[in-house]
Amino acid sequence: MAGYAFWRLVQAAIAVFGVMTIVFVIMRLAGDPTLLLVPEGATREHIEALRHELGFDRPIAVQYVAYLADVLRLDFGQSVVQRLPATAILASRLPYTLELALGASAIALLVGIPAGVAMAVWRGGALERLLATFVVTGQSMPTFLSGILLILVFGVLLGWLPTSGSGGLSSLVLPSIALGALSMATFARMARIAVVDELSKDYVRAARARGLSQGAVVVRHVLRNAAVPVVTIAALEFGNLLAGAVIVETVFAWPGIGQLAIQSIQSRDFVVVQVVVLFVSVIYVAMSLLADLAYAWLDPRIRLHG
Amino acid sequence: MLKQVVMYALLAAALASPLPASAQGKDALVVDLPNDAATLDPHVQWDTDSYTIYRNIFDNLVTRDPSGKIVPQIATAWRYTNDTTIEFDIRSGVTFHDGSPLTPADVAFSINRIINPAFKSPQLSQFDQIVSAEARGDKVVMTTKTPYPALMAQLVKLSIVPKAVVEKVGDQSFNQNPVGSGPYRLAAWQKGVQTALEANDRYWGGKPPFKSVTFRVVPDVATRVADLRTGRADIVRQLGPDEATALKSESQLQVLAGPTERIGYMFINAQSGPTADVRVRRAIAQAIDQKAIIEALLQGYGDPVNIVLTPANFGYVSDVPGYEFNLAKAKALVKEAGAEGASLTFLTSPAYDRRVVEALQQMVQEIGLKVEIVALDHPTFLRRRQGRPDEAGSLSLGRWSCACQDADGVIFPLFRTGSIWAKYSNPAFDDAVDNARKILDEKQRLAFYRKAFEILREDVPGIGIYQDYAIYGARKELQWKPTPNEAFFIMDMKWGK
Amino acid sequence: MTGGATWRSRLSVPWVVAVVSAILLAIVVMAVLAPLVSPADPARQTLIARLRPPGYVANGFVYRFGTDELGRDLLSRVIWGARASLVVALLSVAVSLSVGALLGMVAAWKRGWIEIVVMRLVDIMLSIPAILLAVLTVAVLGPGFGKLIIVLGLTRWPRYTRVAYAQTLQVASLPYIKAAELGGAGSLRILSRHVLPNIAGPLLVVATAEFGLMILFEAGLSFLGLGIQPPQPSWGSIMSSGRQYVERAWWITLFPGAFLFLLVLSVNVLGDWLRDRLDPRSRNR
Repeated sequence: MAGYAFWRLVQAAIAVFGVMTIVFVIMRLAGDPTLLLVPEGATREHIEALRHELGFDRPIAVQYVAYLADVLRLDFGQSVVQRLPATAILASRLPYTLELALGASAIALLVGIPAGVAMAVWRGGALERLLATFVVTGQSMPTFLSGILLILVFGVLLGWLPTSGSGGLSSLVLPSIALGALSMATFARMARIAVVDELSKDYVRAARARGLSQGAVVVRHVLRNAAVPVVTIAALEFGNLLAGAVIVETVFAWPGIGQLAIQSIQSRDFVVVQVVVLFVSVIYVAMSLLADLAYAWLDPRIRLHG
Repeated sequence: MLKQVVMYALLAAALASPLPASAQGKDALVVDLPNDAATLDPHVQWDTDSYTIYRNIFDNLVTRDPSGKIVPQIATAWRYTNDTTIEFDIRSGVTFHDGSPLTPADVAFSINRIINPAFKSPQLSQFDQIVSAEARGDKVVMTTKTPYPALMAQLVKLSIVPKAVVEKVGDQSFNQNPVGSGPYRLAAWQKGVQTALEANDRYWGGKPPFKSVTFRVVPDVATRVADLRTGRADIVRQLGPDEATALKSESQLQVLAGPTERIGYMFINAQSGPTADVRVRRAIAQAIDQKAIIEALLQGYGDPVNIVLTPANFGYVSDVPGYEFNLAKAKALVKEAGAEGASLTFLTSPAYDRRVVEALQQMVQEIGLKVEIVALDHPTFLRRRQGRPDEAGSLSLGRWSCACQDADGVIFPLFRTGSIWAKYSNPAFDDAVDNARKILDEKQRLAFYRKAFEILREDVPGIGIYQDYAIYGARKELQWKPTPNEAFFIMDMKWGK
Repeated sequence: MTGGATWRSRLSVPWVVAVVSAILLAIVVMAVLAPLVSPADPARQTLIARLRPPGYVANGFVYRFGTDELGRDLLSRVIWGARASLVVALLSVAVSLSVGALLGMVAAWKRGWIEIVVMRLVDIMLSIPAILLAVLTVAVLGPGFGKLIIVLGLTRWPRYTRVAYAQTLQVASLPYIKAAELGGAGSLRILSRHVLPNIAGPLLVVATAEFGLMILFEAGLSFLGLGIQPPQPSWGSIMSSGRQYVERAWWITLFPGAFLFLLVLSVNVLGDWLRDRLDPRSRNR
């Protein structure tokens, strides 16, 4: 187990280092922000002078080595647009994305899991078809479309909820639904598979033979056993939610890190892009690492295949 | 734990539910902006949203009155001692928000801070004609490299920061906790969400009209309009003509719009591609239906112009005629040039109104040219538009403001040989604009600009299409008039009945 | 996560499959015949007839879906948008499938440093959220129809590589492949003649799921203004410009949105059905 865990940890470290490098190179290839910073009438000399002062006229390799040296000292650089440390900018936006991801997870779990369990328990019935239709709708609806529809219906026509921006719980509802819909489908699917698996096991038949009702078996045994894979998926899904936030935050003008990422890419604010992508990737890599280790711990066969 | 959650939920719900308009109190003003301020340090970023906020925290050396005339603010008077030296009297009795007095040393420090290359100010190019500034008694003496007629127009944009505070806390901290001498002080800055200001009751220029002002970040224009309707906002910046037209019919709201110094123009590449032929450029000029663009797309929120400059700028001449809209003549010119069916590229980016670009494309296609729109992101657009003539595309749209209300800041960078924007070269034109930036006498300058515009009319390296409007939506009771330099001074606003 | 999306096999009943097939076929026909079935030129503007509702009639022409913010016929733009959507999805799947399958097979066949480099690169690429990776790549290459295909092709191959790699490892140990190798067949010949046919099924399963995703990516990136650029019609960019007018002109957003939803829905359901066919093990789950 220790050997497997070590190997996975090395893999994860390589992945994170690779992400840093790729994002760095991509951003430098995309051109530097000097042209966007100067007023319209600036001359070529001014632009070159500012580019020099900002250090963007150095060779990419030199900039890369300097970047790595800074990162090793946990210095993620200063935004040339906002003149603040990139980490401070990330920190100021992070709470909004976490809020949104939690709201979306809540909706995905509270709707997805019961739907999946119901589909498993009443397999083959009309209810399953109905729920399956509902879930496949959620999965096929692009977030920007569901976002606009939600805004149109609840924000514009009914006027119940704010159409965009962040201001308390009421503004969290619509973006959470739009973001949660995709994960909801994933949870429903996983819950259904896990519960169907459990229901086919011997102990369930034995319990039924002892005269326990199906409902009692499901509640007392099946759900608890089926929870393990679902919880693992939930961890992975959280990483996906952070990524999905990119579009949802743009549609709802939600001031989280997804909106920050898009804005910073557009304004070529290198250090902010680097720190945001690095952050999301570290979460993502860490979540899959934890999931893999959990699986390996539960199922010793995996360690051998590692 | 649960208790906390419930408390938070109640609090959040209370914050989110809009207060009825009548209960909102006259002491607070809520402003919706499309973007957050990039920096609140007035010497760093230069974009309209940052400017809108920090300009209320700081005083500038001089300012413009509603008619556009340059008038005293921190400088009470000024005089040229020779062609390159100017002396400012500094207002006494002005204090910064921390209680310390504003002195000539602060003024000199502010200028020297921005012109120091190591400070990396993007605004440096606006002030780089200044060699030095020095405090002498109650005066500040400034020297320029050459006689520089646009100096005062540039100094309208120079905010005064406290030397002692900046040196004590450092640039980064000053950016987050700016201290100025203006009518409002920073109360809280929630990045990406909102900036709250509170009144500076000791302001030398009088009592600020509202106790608090909140600038909220609302990128989506439909939401800004919705915020006005529901009373969440009192005034919103940057409406489109379509939104403004829709707002007009509402009895509780008003549209505040006014012409600015911003010129909507179409660039025509005079050095590369089919448009290198002046007949093709003249044909394009006659293919543009200004009236249709202004009436149908801008819905009247734009004024026709005859040259690539607005009447709000110094150097504007009204009697150089514009181009006649005449498809038959335009087609004939294209034929004469042998350019029928020639392919033009129209470079654009998200910064320009797509509808105007697409309408212009169709108009130019009417006269027998093919126009392909090449949409780029803004950094790439700038790189190509400012790059070599063969990369710059045949056409592109521009919305230009030098924020100096002077022709020198418009046609010099746009068309002077060697400028990064110019894809055109004419020594006679260069001569005129070079002379106009070296003399201080206004009459002589105007004569040079008249000559420059006459040359541009013949050579057509660009066409003025409309004078841009700044469009705000506001509650009916708010009294304020937008100015041509797109300034947003809370001090000029007040509640009516 | 074996079993994939098989829970949806509950929708793989004949009449549902028939209905979604009909929808998909209709959209494909619409896209192929766009020049013939489109009632008007999708780029033709009429500035005096902006934002008119569905059913608006002018000069004897009926705007069945209304007009957009430049007075263009929305129905024609939606029809041409189908073409953009399908072509981008098809080509980007083709590119990423070819690149991904080739790299995966070579990595598994050659092993050694190629395997290490390719598979670590796959890990890295999959650690960056797909949409962010696409947005970053657009920042380098720029937006546009052809570039969008390149962007999606360049960023979506790792999934195929993983599958091709794992499958090739299994197949490579089969006796007849060993025999072919001993018989002196070259790597290229073995991979293309013997390995590829054996791993095509699982790759096709990935490709069907990716096809639906690519439709969403095209629309999503165009919605963000990073994909297909106006005036070229794309459902995503039409919706993006319609969003500003959603209060007064809902049709600009709703019609392309509805078509997008129907297309993705039918691709998803058909994909599941296809997967059930290709992978009988999952049928009873």
